[in-house]
This record gives sequence, structure tokens and C-alpha cells, in this order.
Amino acid sequence: MPHATHPPSPGLQALVLCGPGLSLNTFTSTPSTLPKCLLPIANRPMVWYPLDWCHRMGIYDITLVTPADAAPPLEAVLRSHPVLTSLSGPRPEVLAPKGLEMTSGTAELLRLGEVQRVIKGDFVVLSCDFVSEVDGSRVLQQWMGLNPSLAASSSSRRKGGLAVYYPTYGREGISSKKDETDFVATVPLPKPNVMLPMGIEEVVMVMPTDTLNDTLDENKQALPIRQTLLAKHGNVKIRTKHRDAHVYFLPLWVKEFVARNEKFDSISEDVLGWWAKAGWQAGLAAKLGMDEVLAGKRSTDDEGANAGSVDEEEEVDATALSSTKSAPVAVRQSPQAFATRVRTSTAPPPRPKLAVPPLLAYMQPASPTQPLIRRIDTAPQLASISLHIARLPPSDPSPLAHEHKIHPSASIGQQTRISQEDCLIAENVTIGIRCNIKESVVGPNCEIGSNVRLTKCVLMDGVVVGDGVQMVGCIAGKRARVEGTSTTGAKGSEVEVDGAAVKGKGKGKQKATSQSGGEEDDKTKLTECEIAPFFVVEAGTEAKGETMKAFDPEGEIGGDGEEDVGDEEDAE
Amino acid sequence: MAEQGGPAAQSKAVDESKVSAAELKKRAKADKQARRAAQKEQEGGPAEVAPATNGAHQEHLAQAQGVQQDQKGKVAHAKGLQQPKPSKQGGQEAKQDRGGPSQAQNIPLRSRAAPTAPSKELPKKDNTVVELLSHLYPIQRRPNLAGVSKDVHPAVLALGLQISTYEICGSSARCVAMLLAFKEAIQAYTTPRDTSLPRHLVSHHLSPQIDHLRSCRPLAESMGNAIRWLKKLIVELDPDKLEHEAKDFICEEIDRFVHERITVTDQAIAASARNQIRTGSVVLTYAKSAIVEKTVLQAHEQGTRFRVIVVDSRPLFEGKRLATSLMRAGLEVQYVPFSGLAHVVKDATLVLLGAHSMLSNGRLQSRVGTASIALQAHKADVPVIVCCESVKFSGKVALDSIVLNEIAPPEELLLSAVPEKPHTYPVGAATTAAVGKSAATGKDAPEDDEPAKLKTLHDWNSAANLRLLNPMYDITPAEYIRMVICEYGSVPPSSVPVVHRLANEGM
Repeated sequence: MPHATHPPSPGLQALVLCGPGLSLNTFTSTPSTLPKCLLPIANRPMVWYPLDWCHRMGIYDITLVTPADAAPPLEAVLRSHPVLTSLSGPRPEVLAPKGLEMTSGTAELLRLGEVQRVIKGDFVVLSCDFVSEVDGSRVLQQWMGLNPSLAASSSSRRKGGLAVYYPTYGREGISSKKDETDFVATVPLPKPNVMLPMGIEEVVMVMPTDTLNDTLDENKQALPIRQTLLAKHGNVKIRTKHRDAHVYFLPLWVKEFVARNEKFDSISEDVLGWWAKAGWQAGLAAKLGMDEVLAGKRSTDDEGANAGSVDEEEEVDATALSSTKSAPVAVRQSPQAFATRVRTSTAPPPRPKLAVPPLLAYMQPASPTQPLIRRIDTAPQLASISLHIARLPPSDPSPLAHEHKIHPSASIGQQTRISQEDCLIAENVTIGIRCNIKESVVGPNCEIGSNVRLTKCVLMDGVVVGDGVQMVGCIAGKRARVEGTSTTGAKGSEVEVDGAAVKGKGKGKQKATSQSGGEEDDKTKLTECEIAPFFVVEAGTEAKGETMKAFDPEGEIGGDGEEDVGDEEDAE
Repeated sequence: MAEQGGPAAQSKAVDESKVSAAELKKRAKADKQARRAAQKEQEGGPAEVAPATNGAHQEHLAQAQGVQQDQKGKVAHAKGLQQPKPSKQGGQEAKQDRGGPSQAQNIPLRSRAAPTAPSKELPKKDNTVVELLSHLYPIQRRPNLAGVSKDVHPAVLALGLQISTYEICGSSARCVAMLLAFKEAIQAYTTPRDTSLPRHLVSHHLSPQIDHLRSCRPLAESMGNAIRWLKKLIVELDPDKLEHEAKDFICEEIDRFVHERITVTDQAIAASARNQIRTGSVVLTYAKSAIVEKTVLQAHEQGTRFRVIVVDSRPLFEGKRLATSLMRAGLEVQYVPFSGLAHVVKDATLVLLGAHSMLSNGRLQSRVGTASIALQAHKADVPVIVCCESVKFSGKVALDSIVLNEIAPPEELLLSAVPEKPHTYPVGAATTAAVGKSAATGKDAPEDDEPAKLKTLHDWNSAANLRLLNPMYDITPAEYIRMVICEYGSVPPSSVPVVHRLANEGM
């Protein structure tokens, strides 16, 4: 491939975790057909975003880890989806470990034998719902540059990790108060030799806000902080409105560290949480078996016979020689009174035998001009990010911008108005006449009737929208059907019949029934609704803020969901 | 280094495809000048006469330097004075290449391509460089990962980053780290078919690594010596040797090199130098050198009671690290800024200095500021002793700090990163005049547009009357140096070429 700008391989491998997506369950209730990682965000499958991010960073060794039942559709899409097949480089591997359930924690996942075998060097763990405009190589560069010297060698066990946190506030249209947040306490890094361009800090405590709230409840609304933390770090900054982006650059030894600690459940909470604490809490590292992991035998033995002397050298070399580093505490402490007195005041307390490598974090500053980093795990986020990407002009430097705002293969009826600057129309879309589409994303193969008004809507693949439908702020799942008034008499009567059959108890139904035959008022109007895949919204439905899905998705897929509509809506 | 020509040129091309806006601007400027020069030539202007306008300077230099050296200096210099952009490349090559045939080809080519209009004719000078030293400016410092050739091994990539951020700093530290990274890179190498490892490894696999490191920071003399040794080692390998055996052999040899030339050598030098420290001595040292640190620590362990004065300077504050580690070891340490030098030099009984490189005319190249230390010590009759491994000895000759040096990014001199609000960093008296209007960020505004905009030091890129200069090294004259301690013993500075020949050329 003629890539003059092909980034060099950073020697990392990536694990993309394709999880269940609990908060997106309107759209992902059947992982065997449509797992979360394949939900479209601005007309690209979700998994494209982490893959593309890795590729831009030069990482091509990518493994998608997914529960077994989601693996076949994922593989099929990887083979066939034009967006995914156009990614350069080798196709990512799909790994579906046996023991992996939809409910497994991320650390549990790392402990699985199959995953352990896959990890051969330093690795990046990403979640499939990660969307980032930040250039990964810049973050990576920080990680590589800040690692203790000689961390260059892959066998080194002194490498630290790096996580990414983004602010959940300060961005209009995308930030929402309801976003999940994490509690992160950080300390600034020792003053660098030259200024660092990015906000890298060292994490000393991290937990999800839920855990924080539990702790607060247990302790009468107070957060207990250990004295040792303050003794070690005088300048702790606590953030509660940042969120873990679930991107972790981890050194190889973490694999073993996770394997040793059976009780670790999730990477973000347990692995990082304990690691961060082990940096300052006396004795914790030993309790977690960290010292043994770090002191563990070198896995690579390419040095051959004289490995012994080499190791010794590797320990002493560059760091000790570097003029910008202080030597570690001298081996033999001379028992002078002067020295000990000085040490207690200025120098850090004598180190434990093995210093815990630092857990770094890139804390993205909150500013609307910062590139976007987000995790998409709720429907509103999915919508807002899709719309954000739709707003990007094709010329935008952001890597997420689409080449075509309106795909050339889309056929658009006369007098239809589509606001170019904030809409995204995918390929093979048919749009009828006199439609008005603003701030919307229309997925491939959608059929939109005439006189349709879409505002702030996200339509996934193959959604059918009938004539005269008005939708504001809706998200429609794959192949969902929103019926509108039909112009032909036959269809109109059918709708009538349907409406009558259900004996409209719901508001929407009532209206439809009462005004059946009316030209204007039986329009389907949906506001801020989520429509499950394959669901059919009847003509004349008026709804606001509802989630429309069938009760038993297995039975109803592709079938007619009409019967359920009434009940469903009553239940809501 | 001659065989590097091809890949080097390639990677340069790659680099140039990824340039910042500032770089583009510069290039546009250079193009414009080239057009101008072409026009002149068409009009019959004496384009080739131009270098002669700097003749006086050249002669001056030629007198000053050895025969081989002055040619490079001349070309680099002459061009440096006229043309900021192309001269950078020339300058860098002149600094790093050691008279290979590639140079003979390159420089005439370049000077032909470079516009040769007299310097007075230039419409506008490059604001970001100091003219006299413009040959020393690197083409592109702090490379992004994106612009790097994909052949670069991850270990080398990481090392490059660490070198460019000074995480690994110091001649021997960089040399050791480089060799260890090369070890990894060599282990990752597989010989393609139809060729053999000794013929292919250096030119196709090692060169991109070296080029990458060079683009992060100019190579140190010790690195150059080590690379030369390594290349020779590889080229002389038996081509019939099995690949993995050859790789293992190279790695073992690298380990041996590090062990012999640096680790053990440091021990030997420290053991020899510590005898210079006697009870009651006051040792003055500057910045941080690993050998000096080791020497002082060993003398302390021996039980000698003495005091250390650490003189330090901006922007790297290496002395802080030395002071910290000595203090931790229980020594009595006094930490002084460079400005306090005159005050403490009276107390000193011995000055111990580390080296970046020992030049063949006995001069010492070391962290900028060392020369003043040596001068002051010389005046106060305090013996100056340099501790330097032979791997840092160089065949080069320099009389001043202009020809051989390294210019670090000038922004490192600024106290902080780019300020949020420019008016918080006022410069001079202009502050009060324009505070009211300075609310807008004036960082990259064109200079003459808004006179009301308040400039700060951070605007060094755009301010026409401001230059920042951040050199890394300076040259200490041999007269100020009493003794050089290397693993061959304690020698006077005049014996440097002998040791260099013994240690680095016969390898």
C-alpha cells in the first residue's frame, strides 16, 4: 500500500472488548443478530471507531474479544461491511472465548485462558464503544516517552500504564448531566525536563461514581482518604466529572497481575483502582502480588548464555547514567545523622524493594475546542455523537468526518429539503417528495416516504418511514418501520382496521381511531422515542419519550409486531 | 555512513510530507527566494559570486580549523549565512557525517539548488533562528509518531521519544540506551531472501533506526563511535553464518561493548578519579555527569570527608538531580545556580567535569556553561579534571562552539508552556501600554497587524526583533583543563588524539 505516512508500529497489540451494551438494550436485545458493537454510529458500525483509531496509531494487531453468540454476526460484518473492509491492514481477529458471558467483567475476561494466550506484549485495551477524535499516536507518544527509560525493551517490568479520561461537561449538545462519571484523584507528574504538551498526570485513586456514592453512604457522606496518600503526595487533585474512556495502555506484566488476583472483576475499577493505590499504600503491592509479578522472571530469553550479566546491566544502565535523572537511593546508606535527617524531610521515604510503576492518565481538559473523546453506551449519547459527526463538514480535519454528506447513490425526491451541513444520508436511501430533513442521520437502505419531517433523528439501516411522519429526536433501530398515512385508500383502511382491532387504549391509538380517515391529524408523530429494531410503529401513533420494543423480541423479529403495539404502549 | 545516503534521503522525503504549518511557511519562503535567484541568474546576475561575499568569514574559519574540518565548516557556514532553510540540512550533515564520499556529492548539489542571492537581498530573515548558528538547527525536532518511517522498531521509537524529551539525556546514557534498543531491533530482523545479513542489515534495517534517532536529537559523539563500531562488526560477519547465530553474536557483542566501554570503564575512571578527592577537598561540579557522580559517591564510600558544590543552570536543571542523589547518599552538598559561580569558585579545591565529547585538539565539548566554569577555575588556580570514557573521544576538531554544537528547541527556555493569557507574561515596559487591548490571544498573529497587541517571550516565533538561542554545548579550551581521566589513565588534553586512535579507530 502506498502509504508515505504509514505510522510505524508502536509494538503494541490491541484488544477491543465488544461487550453487551446494557444501556442500549432497546437496540441490542438480541446479541446474536445485532450485537452492540455493530450498532451504527453515523452510519458506521460502532466497532469501526476503535479499529480506525488503532490503525491511525499504527496498531494492526487487533483482537476483538466478544461473547460467543455475538461472534458470527461480527465476523460476517467484518467480512462484508464496506466501511470495515475498506480499513487498510490485516483484518482483526475475532476471539470468542468459551467462558465469556455477556455479564463477565473486563478483568475476568483478561483472566480467561484464551485471552491470556493472545496477549504477547504490551497491549491496549479498548472498548468497542469508544469514539475519539484525539490522535491516538499523541497519547501513545506520551506513554512511550514517559515510561521509565529502557522500558523500550519489551521485557522490562518497569513500564507503567496509561488510561484516558475525558470530561463529561463543557460541550454543548454532547455533554449531558446524566452521563456516567468516575472519581479520579491524580497528582501531577514530577516536573518534566521540557514542557509536556498534554495533560498527563499520575492516578492515585480511581473508582466509578457508584462506588464513590456507596463509600460516601457508608461513611456518613465523607470520603475516607488514607494518611499515607497525603504523606506521599501533597498535591492531589480530585475530579468527579471526568469519565474513563476505557482505553488503557498496559504493559505486559499487567496480564500476570490480573491473572493472579482472582477477585478483580473489572479493569477500570479493580485493576486500575488497586494499582493506583498500590503506588502509595504501604504493603498493598505485596498483598496484591505485585512485587512478585514485577520481580518475576523475564519471559524473553533471547539473550542466551550471558543473560545473567545482561540483566544486571539492564538494571543499571540508561536511567542511572542519564543526566536528567537522579540515581535511585544509594545501596549503602551511610549512617550519618545529617543524611537521615535530610532524608525524612525532603527525599521520599526509602523505597520498598520494588517501586510500583506509575499509572498515568491523560486527563483531557474540558473545553469545547478539544477534540472529542466519548464512550457511547446510552441511546442519547449514540444520537448526540451521531449528530455531532453528521455536523462535521467533509473537509473537516477530524478523522471521523464523512466523505459524502449525502451519498451519491441516495435518491431524493423533488422539493425535498435536506440541510446539508448537519445531515448525513447513507447509500441507497430513497427519500420521497417534499420531505424536510434537518440534523439527522439516515442509515443505508432507508426508505423515507413523502412529506416526512425528520429533525434530530438517527435512523439505522433499512428503516422505513411512511408518508407524512414527523419525527423529532428519535432513534430508530435496524429495519424498524414507522408507518404513516398511506395515500392509497386500501392501505389507509387497513390501518384503520388495525387501529380498531386494538381498541385503542393508548393515547396515540385513540387519536388514530377517532380521527381515522382524516387527512391531517392521523399523522404519525414521534418525539424523542427509541424504536427497537424490526419494530413496526403503527400509523397515527403519537408518542413522546417512549421506548418502543416488543416484549419478546425472539418471537417477533421480522414478523408483524402490530399486535404488541397496543399492549406495549399501555405498559409504558 | 556513505551507504546511508539512499534511505536517509527517503526518510527525509517522508519527513517532509508531514510538516507543520510553520515548516510550510518556511518552505514557501525558500521557494520564493529560489525563484528570485533564478530570475537573477537569467538576468545575468553573478549568482556564483555570492559565496565569495562571505569569503572573509571563510578564511577566518579556515585559519582556525584543521584541513578536513574547515571545508565542512565553510560550506555550512557560508550557506548558513545566506539561506536559513537548506543550510540546515547542510549544516546537520556537515556536523554528523565524517567526511564520507556522500558529502562530496551532497554539498555541491545542495549549493547548486540553494539560491545564492547575497544575504542582504533577502527580503525577510527567518525569525526563529539565530543566523550565525543557523546551520545547527535541526530540520525537525520532536517528530510525531505519524511522520516516522514504518521500518523503525518500537523500541527505537520509544527511545527516540525519550531522547527528545530528555528522559534519557547525556552522552553515555544515550549511547547505552541506543545500543540496547538496537539489540531489540536486530532480534526482530529477518534477512530477506537473496541477500545475507552482513550485507543487508546495516543498510536496510539499521539505517532507518539511526535516522530516526538522529531526527529526535543529533547523535552524540559516543553514539557515532558506537554505531561505527557496530556497522563494522556486522559488515565483517561471516555471510554463511546462520541468521539466529549471527543475531545472537551481534547482541552478545553489543553487551560486551556496553560492558567494556561504559560500565567497567566508568568503574575504572571513578576508581582513578576518586583519588583526586582528599579529605577536606571541596569538589565543584557542573550539571550532572554519571561518571562524576560515581566518582564522588565512591570517594564518599571510601570514607573521605569532603564537600561538593553543584553548579546548575537552566533549562534542564541537571544539577538538581546530581545534588539530590548526592544528598541522599549522605554527602554534604551545596547547590548553586550558575549565576552564583564566582562566589563559590573561591572555595573549591577541585573541579570535576563530565564530557559530551573530547575533541582531538584537546578541547572539551560539554554542557553549555562548562567553559565558563573552567575559565573561572583556571583563574582561581583550581585544577580542572575531566572524566571521560574513551568512547566519547572524537577525531573532530573545533575552536569555538559555533561549528560543532546542537541547538535545542528555543521554547525550552521559556518558563512555562504557551500561556493561556499572553498578558500574564509581560515583556519589558510595553506591558502597561496595551493591557487593555491585549485580551485577545496574540500568539500567532502577524506581527505588524495590531500594534496594540502585547507581545511576550512566547511570541518569539513572530517577533521580528527577538531571537531565542538555546545551545546545548560549548567548547572549553585545552589550556583550562589540567587532566583528562579516561580508562587509559590520566592524560593531558594534548593526548586525546592518541587515545582516540587507540580506542576508537582500531576497533
